[in-house]
Amino acid sequence: MRNSLKLFAVIAALSASLAAQGGSDTKGKFFFKKNCKSCHAAGGSAKEITPLSKTQAQWKAYFAAGKHKKGAERIDSIVKPEQVKDVQTFLVNHASDSPQPETCGG
Amino acid sequence: MGTIRMDRRLFLKSAGATAGAVAATQVGCLKYFKKGRSSAAETKEIPTTCELCPNKCSAIAVVEGGFVKKLNPNPENPKSRDMLCARGNAAIKQVYDPDRLKQPMIRVGARGEGKWKPVSWDEAFDFAAKKLSEVKGNYGPEASLWSSTEGFQEVFFKNLGLAFGSPNLVRHPTLCLASVNLAYSATFGTVPSFDLLNSKFVIMSGANRFESIITPDTMDLIGGVMERKAKLVYLDPRFTVTAAKADEWYPIKPGTDLAFILAMIHVIIAENRHSKDFVAAYTTGFEQLTEHVKQYTPEWAEKETEIPAKDIVRIAREFADAGARALYYAGRRSSWYQNDFQMRRAQAILNAIVGNWDQMGGMVPNAKLPKGEFLFMPWDEPKAPRVDEIKTAFPLAAAGDGVYLKLRENVLSGKPYPVKAWMVYKQDPMNSLPDQAKTLKMIEQMDFIGVIDVQMSDMAWYADVVFPESAYLERTDPVEVMPGIWPAVVYRQQVVKPIHDTKPNLEIVQGLAKRLGLGDYFDYTIEQWVEAEFKDLPIPMAAEHMKKHGVWAASGQPSYGKTLTPDHRFVTKTGKIEIFSERLQEAGYDPLPVYAAPVQPPGDRFRLILGRVGYFTHANQSNNVWLHEFMKENDLWINPKPAERLGIRDGSYVSVSSSVGSVKLKARVTEEIRPDCVFMLHGFGKKSKMQSLVYNVGASDAVILETAWDKVSGNAAFHETFVKVANA
Repeated sequence: MRNSLKLFAVIAALSASLAAQGGSDTKGKFFFKKNCKSCHAAGGSAKEITPLSKTQAQWKAYFAAGKHKKGAERIDSIVKPEQVKDVQTFLVNHASDSPQPETCGG
Repeated sequence: MGTIRMDRRLFLKSAGATAGAVAATQVGCLKYFKKGRSSAAETKEIPTTCELCPNKCSAIAVVEGGFVKKLNPNPENPKSRDMLCARGNAAIKQVYDPDRLKQPMIRVGARGEGKWKPVSWDEAFDFAAKKLSEVKGNYGPEASLWSSTEGFQEVFFKNLGLAFGSPNLVRHPTLCLASVNLAYSATFGTVPSFDLLNSKFVIMSGANRFESIITPDTMDLIGGVMERKAKLVYLDPRFTVTAAKADEWYPIKPGTDLAFILAMIHVIIAENRHSKDFVAAYTTGFEQLTEHVKQYTPEWAEKETEIPAKDIVRIAREFADAGARALYYAGRRSSWYQNDFQMRRAQAILNAIVGNWDQMGGMVPNAKLPKGEFLFMPWDEPKAPRVDEIKTAFPLAAAGDGVYLKLRENVLSGKPYPVKAWMVYKQDPMNSLPDQAKTLKMIEQMDFIGVIDVQMSDMAWYADVVFPESAYLERTDPVEVMPGIWPAVVYRQQVVKPIHDTKPNLEIVQGLAKRLGLGDYFDYTIEQWVEAEFKDLPIPMAAEHMKKHGVWAASGQPSYGKTLTPDHRFVTKTGKIEIFSERLQEAGYDPLPVYAAPVQPPGDRFRLILGRVGYFTHANQSNNVWLHEFMKENDLWINPKPAERLGIRDGSYVSVSSSVGSVKLKARVTEEIRPDCVFMLHGFGKKSKMQSLVYNVGASDAVILETAWDKVSGNAAFHETFVKVANA
């Protein structure tokens, strides 16, 4: 099986299995980069967004509202509903006021 | 039957196969066979990135007839500039080291006995996967520990541990700079670079930067301090090379640096010499600091530090006068004491109040460069809590790094759960952790130990299986961004093919992953990984550029002051530079640095202090034959007064004993150390017979160091051991 197909199949399986659980930082990072960064990157079609773009409270509020493009779309129409919690977990964990000390390499 | 030409490689392969067939074999040091070189051999120059220390200097390998003949510095890297230190040059001898690991091996004697069976890669992978699966089946995936040290291919090892389902990754920072990283992160939200090249006034506490590791910072110090005549004030119980180059050296009473810094802050605030505009615009908590430091007078500090109060006052004034171009330099050294985080916090606060943030000659937030990222398939998060209980024991520490000594304590106690398998990459816990006897106990209680390394480290010597990694000159690694004042992207590409039956770490990880049922998570090649990283480099023909040059740096001069705007948000809780830290207070720590006098050694003992030399800062290079030429053995520095009292003569052997162990060393009787301390270098006294130059030569500090850690970061505290010294 080609890498991309295999990846797709496993992501779908993983997403479904996680739907009812707490968010995953690892998966959230993957889904954020796969889905959000395709537009929200430097030089992309939308404003660049990183976890540091908001504070933890702002990210929580953003996901509570669940809206994208200033309310024109629902966030779960951009990121699959079962992936939203993972993306939220990743963004909150690495927000601009998150206690994430820097490290050496790694 | 045709004639078979026996070259060196074929010889080694056949030697390995024969050895494997005759069962248990004591593996000695196979001598490296010189291969005849053709006078018409083609010469190539291949850019790559050094791996002999963490600084990632750019190098150009001169390859002749398939051999690395010479390594030159690559002037295109603005951070390493046109420099490759002695250690960098000696990387050639890492490749052609007769002691290095040449094929996978499985232990056949007792752990540490040195009896090994050379095996095929399949046998090694099958053996390790079986053992890891047994531990997983019996105790759960969390019963496996994955230890690693910084490196371009470390990511693959960590990912294997996580995909296996273990939360117990433990990296090197709590044996290194975790207290610095945490203190500066807690204050500024980031760990800045120090613009030593342009500073006017530098203070260092025990970071022996002219001698202990040679990096671009060393070069900047030489440029700033030696050539531009910046002033250097240096505090160290020992007269080091840095002391010799400093304008002022104070043999400070060990463990009292925090008192010196607090008294400096006291003077600067009391005399209204702080940068008022900067403090008002960018910091929070200055009022609390003002009240807090009233108690820390220079006269009080003199009694603690043994540095005269008048000097503390004068230094504080000169420091504040230099203002934005004054630096209390964090240096590059590990934690010495249990208050190391708070000492680092005090340094950060002192720097903040003179307004050196984001200024030429001051502390500069690191500029970064973009690169692409290979998106690998994510796995389920490990479900168990970490065995080191970091969330409750060290709530502010970097969870992904773990806290090594607390982890070891918990593993030894079996609480909160048993750990029975230990995988190690590019790390030697036998020498990098204090109290080697405890590490040996930890080894004893493991059902399985696997080590991936270029050489037979002491940790590898005690493993059940060793996986030989290709040396950096033999492999291609992921692309790395080097943030800094002069940011760069560096590329490490294969210079020569592996000369032995070794593999890059990624392929070792893939071999294990496949047998552990995790192959899908690692289904890519290093070429695919690197191509994805090249993709987002903002330069045309990025892949071609990186392969041709080995480095890309943004052109132009350093950019200062980008964060000095009204709307800039520091990555802290308040968005400001946090002099007073609510987050520390909420976690139960002092929100401002509070001084507590260190316990002093009783009359018949000395405080053991440690240090490094640039030839082999880390323990893993002392067996390199070129570097070994510089220093063949470590010794014990002792002041003439106690030496006379104890009847110790220069050059005689002494025993050095702590509560956890005893070693024998030659004494160096010297005025260049305080009478209440003794000093030894790191990196000798190896237990591995495949470290032949330093096997049982000198002594390992790990044998006598006691277990102690910084209370906030969990960083090992290496200067908290008292020793007895006597003629051996």
